[in-house]
Amino acid sequence: MAPAGTGGIFVILVIFVFSSCESLFSGGDSYKRELTVKLYPNSTPSGGELLHVRAVGGNDTLHSLFCSQGAPTLLLVHTNSNSSTVEVNWPEFLARNTSGSLKVEPQSSILYSTAIVFSRLLEYNDENDTAEAKSNFFPAYELKDFIWAQMNLSDSTVTLCGSPTRSGNGSLCLQLSVFGSEGRADLWPRLLHSANSSQLEVWLNGLPPRSIMSRFVLELQAVGGAYPLSRVNVHQFIDDEYTPSIFQVSQWVSSPNNGSDVLGFAQWKPVAYRTPHATLEDATPCRNSDPQQQSGNSTSASSALIKAFYSDPAAIGLNVSFGIAGEPYYNSTMFLSWTMLVGIGSPPVDSFSPMVIGILTAGLGIPILLLLGGGVYVLIAKKRESSGTGYEPIN
Amino acid sequence: MPLKEWLHFDDKCEEGSVPAFLKQQLNMADFEERRSLLGDENEDRGPGRPLPAICDPSHVLHRVVVLIFMCFLGFGSYFCYDNPAALQTQVIQDMNLNTAEFMQLYAWYSWPNVVLCFLGGFLIDRVFGIRLGTIIFSLFVCVGQVIFAAGAWSNHFWLMEAGRFVFGIGGESLAVAQNTYAVNWFKGKELNLVFGLQLSMARLGSTVNMNIMGWVYSKVAVAVGSSGHTTLGISLMIAAGTCVFSLICALVLGFLDKRAERILHKEQGRTGEVIKLTDVKDFSLSLWLIFIICVFYYVAIFPFIGQGQVFFIEKFNFSPAQARAVNSIVYIISAPASPILGFIVDKTGRNIGWVFAAVIATLCAHMMLAFTFWNPWIAMSLLGVSYSLLACALWPMVAFVVPEHQLGTAYGFMQSIQNLGLAVIAIAVGVIVDIRGYLVLEVFFCACICIALMAVVGLYFVDYLKGEGLNRSAAERAKLQKETAEHAE
Repeated sequence: MAPAGTGGIFVILVIFVFSSCESLFSGGDSYKRELTVKLYPNSTPSGGELLHVRAVGGNDTLHSLFCSQGAPTLLLVHTNSNSSTVEVNWPEFLARNTSGSLKVEPQSSILYSTAIVFSRLLEYNDENDTAEAKSNFFPAYELKDFIWAQMNLSDSTVTLCGSPTRSGNGSLCLQLSVFGSEGRADLWPRLLHSANSSQLEVWLNGLPPRSIMSRFVLELQAVGGAYPLSRVNVHQFIDDEYTPSIFQVSQWVSSPNNGSDVLGFAQWKPVAYRTPHATLEDATPCRNSDPQQQSGNSTSASSALIKAFYSDPAAIGLNVSFGIAGEPYYNSTMFLSWTMLVGIGSPPVDSFSPMVIGILTAGLGIPILLLLGGGVYVLIAKKRESSGTGYEPIN
Repeated sequence: MPLKEWLHFDDKCEEGSVPAFLKQQLNMADFEERRSLLGDENEDRGPGRPLPAICDPSHVLHRVVVLIFMCFLGFGSYFCYDNPAALQTQVIQDMNLNTAEFMQLYAWYSWPNVVLCFLGGFLIDRVFGIRLGTIIFSLFVCVGQVIFAAGAWSNHFWLMEAGRFVFGIGGESLAVAQNTYAVNWFKGKELNLVFGLQLSMARLGSTVNMNIMGWVYSKVAVAVGSSGHTTLGISLMIAAGTCVFSLICALVLGFLDKRAERILHKEQGRTGEVIKLTDVKDFSLSLWLIFIICVFYYVAIFPFIGQGQVFFIEKFNFSPAQARAVNSIVYIISAPASPILGFIVDKTGRNIGWVFAAVIATLCAHMMLAFTFWNPWIAMSLLGVSYSLLACALWPMVAFVVPEHQLGTAYGFMQSIQNLGLAVIAIAVGVIVDIRGYLVLEVFFCACICIALMAVVGLYFVDYLKGEGLNRSAAERAKLQKETAEHAE
């Protein structure tokens, strides 16, 4: 029957269409960067290293600096020349007395810079299971006072772990991945990243809670010269393929004069996972508070990198609280992991996978084709009937 | 719950629309009554004094009493069928499951019915008889639900699955028994009203379950002190109370039926189903296309409702109570809509056109749920209407393409593969949600509906080319029937 042949041709057409559209539908950013990594070790007893990843594009450079001196800090500097470098006066940097010990040369090429400081880890006793995070706080863990181990470097990923005391069990770890091209992480929430962004995964592993009904809140500070990250936009998105059951994405953006231009961003999905290789049941929602102005001076004091780079920083703080009412407490698994993406320019936009598009195209297209094909066949059959002679000769 | 809907589809008493084997039953029942009426004149009817109206099996008032028991006969099994859906978050949390394991509770219900659809009529007619059969099936439903609750109480998931399996053995066969009782007691004009009432009771059971079980669970949690598998077990035991109630109705019905048989001298009701598996090779292409439509349509409805609660909570930020309410809207709508739509389809004919409309409407509903954040009440209401429309238009088509002596086999086969599809797809649904999330799940449902759509389009052309007349209007069909009747004379 005619529709069968048409169906076969259609399948070939579908495959052709969505293999050529794959680049169109996969986020669109095929910008690539070359990465070079440099680690500044520290043999002083206070520890704290500096990692510098230089990502060179066509005519610009993105410097990612990650420092564990004091509060862990990620600094991104975007310059418009592909030969810009970072110069560090290491003794001055370690002394943490003056700003200017870390410079990006040439200074005039700096387009935009933004930094994220992990300042505090708060713990509260949620005895009524409301997850309001307003009262019953235990003394906060100041991350600048944590004992940070040496950075563990592999490819363009660096892992940093620290604990509250030297012999403490349990740790807070951060994993920074810098990317040279577009892609998607392997583990949930499988954030889409581009060459202009870096992924930071934060997880609590085995840190002993101070009550059986403890929940945690992570305090972040965004530091910037002229335009730090100021407001949080929450976007709804219908595609939860890569992060099942999560239909929102939160973006902490810096947009001058509240315009629509986005200079820098921090992006995350409002979900945290309670086991290392999470399944759907291990997802727990997280919420963020409104960004609030904070003292730039105290941020400088807590982070060596901020002190070294910024002379007069403006800091805006935000709290990410993990868990909502009814969710299991931290002590059910003693593990909590959350991922965010930090970058310059506009945040990457997720899109449908080719599989979804393919199924829909086939599913909707084939019945339409069948209808058309069948209709044409019926018309032809009718015409043949009416044009042929009604009677056949007897002999 | 996948009802034996072909026994409920027509609420309008049209001679042509009552399926053939039911006509067989009606004729048999008529014959028996005529014989007993004649016999009454000559035989002694017991004590000789007239019974009060409510105790007289031939009086309408007594039949109303029997009707009440008949309607509540199925209430328990419909109430308990969707218990997992109503308590989805609690079951998943208390028993520590993922979605795939949760959906197993629905798969295990469907597995026994792959085989039992063929055996139900045989068991009722030849092995147990209607009275004992009903009691046995009610017992299975009751025991199954109790095992299910015990599994939750003792924190053994395999026991819960076993409970659902036992529950499934009784559930579908009980529907056959319920309908056999209906035909036996309500031959004539009241039969369609009774079918309609039984359908509404079934939907009422599902709706009440969706909206009440959450409240029951929270009250038990307060009484016990905490939520957990014990609370879940107790809540499910309370639900089993409805099954005990249905079992009592089965016993009462058995007693009343036996008494009526003694007083009116009529025979035990029979389903009249004749199943011959070798008939399958004679099924026409149109019938196979109807089977495809049936399977691929229903797998996009029941498994979706089964895990719908968490979908509405996660995607649309509904509260659990709101999510359960919107999940139950399909059943709430189909209770009044089925008789109305049945009437419309009976009056206008053109069954394939109606099936096409229903499939398109369901596709729109699923696409709305997948690709927009529009209020899901809209999509679910559309789903309810289209689901009712399809039931009214699809099942009668089988009677148009299959000769009378094969009708039992055809319906049994259709139910069997429907249950097979439901069992397999229920598991697939759980796996998809766990791995790829709800968008891919909705796209999967859309794909199933699209396959049903392809089958409808195929059916239209096959029917057009072969001239089988599935899409004739009611007027044409009536004219044709008159002509064949005239030719026969």
